Amino acid sequence: MSAALATAPLRRPISPGLPRPEPVRAPRIEIAPVRAQRLARPRVAYAGTVVAGIGALMIAQLALSIALSDGAYTIDRLETTQKEQARSVQQLTEDLGRLASPQNLAKNAEALGMVQNANPVWLRMSDGAVIGTPAAAAGGSGVLAAGGSQVANDLLNGVPLVTEVSADATGAATAAAATPVQPAAPLADPELPLQGLPAPATR
Amino acid sequence: MTRRSARRRIALSALLLVAILGTFLIRLVDIQVVHADALNAQAEDKRSIPQVILGERGDIFDSTGVLLADSVLRYDITASPKYAVTSTDVPPETAAEQLAPIVGVPAAKLVKVLRDAVAENPDSDYAYLAKKVDAQQFEQVRALGIPWVYYEAHAGRTYPNGAVAGNLLGFVGSQNEAQAGVELADDSCLAGTDGSEVYERSADDVRIPGSTVVTTPAVDGRDLILTIDRDLQWFVQQTLASYAKKFGAKWGTVVVQEVKSGKLLAVADYPSVDPNNVNATVQSPDPALGSRAFTAPFEPGSTFKTLTAASLLDARLVTPATHVLAPYRFTTPDGADVNDSEYHGDMSLTLTGVLKESSNTGLSQLGLRMTPEQRYAYMRAFGLGARTEVDFGAEATGDLNSGPDWDAQSNLATMFGQGLTVTAVQMASIYQTIGNGGVRLPVSLVAGCRLADGTLTDTPATEGTRVISATAARETVDMLENVATKGWLADQVAIPGYRLATKTGTAQQPDGHGGYTKSYLVSLAGIAPADDPQYVVSVSLADPVKMNTSGAAAPIFHDVTTQVLKQFGVVPSGSSSPDLPTNY
Repeated sequence: MSAALATAPLRRPISPGLPRPEPVRAPRIEIAPVRAQRLARPRVAYAGTVVAGIGALMIAQLALSIALSDGAYTIDRLETTQKEQARSVQQLTEDLGRLASPQNLAKNAEALGMVQNANPVWLRMSDGAVIGTPAAAAGGSGVLAAGGSQVANDLLNGVPLVTEVSADATGAATAAAATPVQPAAPLADPELPLQGLPAPATR
Repeated sequence: MTRRSARRRIALSALLLVAILGTFLIRLVDIQVVHADALNAQAEDKRSIPQVILGERGDIFDSTGVLLADSVLRYDITASPKYAVTSTDVPPETAAEQLAPIVGVPAAKLVKVLRDAVAENPDSDYAYLAKKVDAQQFEQVRALGIPWVYYEAHAGRTYPNGAVAGNLLGFVGSQNEAQAGVELADDSCLAGTDGSEVYERSADDVRIPGSTVVTTPAVDGRDLILTIDRDLQWFVQQTLASYAKKFGAKWGTVVVQEVKSGKLLAVADYPSVDPNNVNATVQSPDPALGSRAFTAPFEPGSTFKTLTAASLLDARLVTPATHVLAPYRFTTPDGADVNDSEYHGDMSLTLTGVLKESSNTGLSQLGLRMTPEQRYAYMRAFGLGARTEVDFGAEATGDLNSGPDWDAQSNLATMFGQGLTVTAVQMASIYQTIGNGGVRLPVSLVAGCRLADGTLTDTPATEGTRVISATAARETVDMLENVATKGWLADQVAIPGYRLATKTGTAQQPDGHGGYTKSYLVSLAGIAPADDPQYVVSVSLADPVKMNTSGAAAPIFHDVTTQVLKQFGVVPSGSSSPDLPTNY
């Protein structure tokens, strides 16, 4: 867009032979914009668009930031839950560990009246042969037997035997947790028949 | 308005502007340059919270995958005394009443802690209410929601099986630092390294997203796998402790070793430590915090005759049927003087008979067929006088008493296990070598260090060394079978259906001043089943005052061996022990 173009039509033609016009005050002149220039002129609408755009961006950013910090609270809450869950997993694992300890199992087995046979005898499944010399286990011949557990386990303090728990369930259920482990007498209910193990009738 | 006054006003404004700008500039430089570091640090302190990421200590498992030592979190309950005493919502007395039943500390004591702290320092902001409470107690305390109570998590250690293998595992201290046993010996495998992170926190204690910076990542420790079988270890400890109490023994050990791998399946000590409560052991009259089987060498006595006999057989200097006339007392020209434990007339014994009768005089005569240097070389080859491959903490080497330059008396005494010391594990290793056809395998207690991806590192050496010939080893086992079937403890030791090879020992213990005390170390070592040796069981009881003979070790050996055969499913072979002549 050149100045030449814009000013060209404004030059007066100079005709030869005519008397030189008197110098007059130059008329006020104005630059007439071409069509392209007219189109390029900024309008209010554009300004509005830009402002609205920036506004939208700011709102979006604000919304994003709100969402993000809301996410932070969600994460925080979930992390807390996760920690709590991890703690209960740890607690249950510890409980399981102490209950699965051989001291506890043996004590409970013997409290339930189980005995061990120190005399190993094998039954060969293929031909039903008995290898070894079978002999009945004596009553009360548990590994712990009369001496009680000789292998300490500090974690088992206050853990009741299953026999104590079941006796407790029928009676007062409150005192069990606090009472220390006591060597319970083997359960021998005189009312129960000793023979007749529950066995499935398979044919 | 004159032009002059206007100019003055402009100048004044400019001056003012410069002055204000200058002030800002100076302040800006002051903040941004001069005090920048200090202010930055202050700001960081306000917002960013450094935090330790705990590197978890590895777990310890037995050979079957049972957890023996577990890393857990424990919590210290702390309080801010200055806020506690001024709190109107929850005064110390009310809180203490609620806390006391949970943490197991008397309420009065909790209140006293808080009041004392404030009395000493009115600004006191930190006091311990309870240390190392578990997760359950922690949750209960947290649920109370006392505003001036705080918490700190620590790495802790728990041993679910208590004293089972406690002697081997060892324990950790209050800062979770390894103090004994494999915890200490294999600390490089187990120990984790704490990391650290920094994050920024909003006013309401919520972590600002994206602000976490891990400055040092935490490295978890690796798991340690032992060769021990938890159930067998428990059975052996229970059995040993029962009999040791019955016979009034001071201490005792039982070692169960697998013949064909050299792995220790059970190493029981009496008394033993419960790593969950080390203090209880420390306060006991004769505390044993480690494993005497590794750390307490003793004069073994007659169980050692097996080694001498096996050496003689390997050197082809004798056969199981070699004749020797065994008197009650035997003296040598250079001044050695040995006798048997009980008076007897001259006995016409074979080498088998010498072992069966456990004759010192018979064995001394046969042993003299070998030079001290030769015998010493055999002892070293059997692994004596050196720590085993286990390299347990404070493991003893045993003392071969300046061999092979023994004096005349020691030269004979060392043939039947006096005048030298071995550990219980070394003794088991001797029988392992003989059971394994003369090839000694490295003794192992740790099967390896397990990385997170499951690969095992630091696995023990498995290459054996031949100590004696396969023939000599088999002949030795045959002779020991005759000891088991014909010896004086035959009835107590026998397990119906199985062939056993055993040797007893009753060794007088030195008094530390060159003489011997009246206390004995009774022992019984054996191999089962003898027809296809798989397990070594070695029992030692120190000073069983109620039964001063190896008869005290016999029931332990019997019960433990039975359990071993049962647990590992060893089926009776049906063959019977060879019948070797013991007399001529």
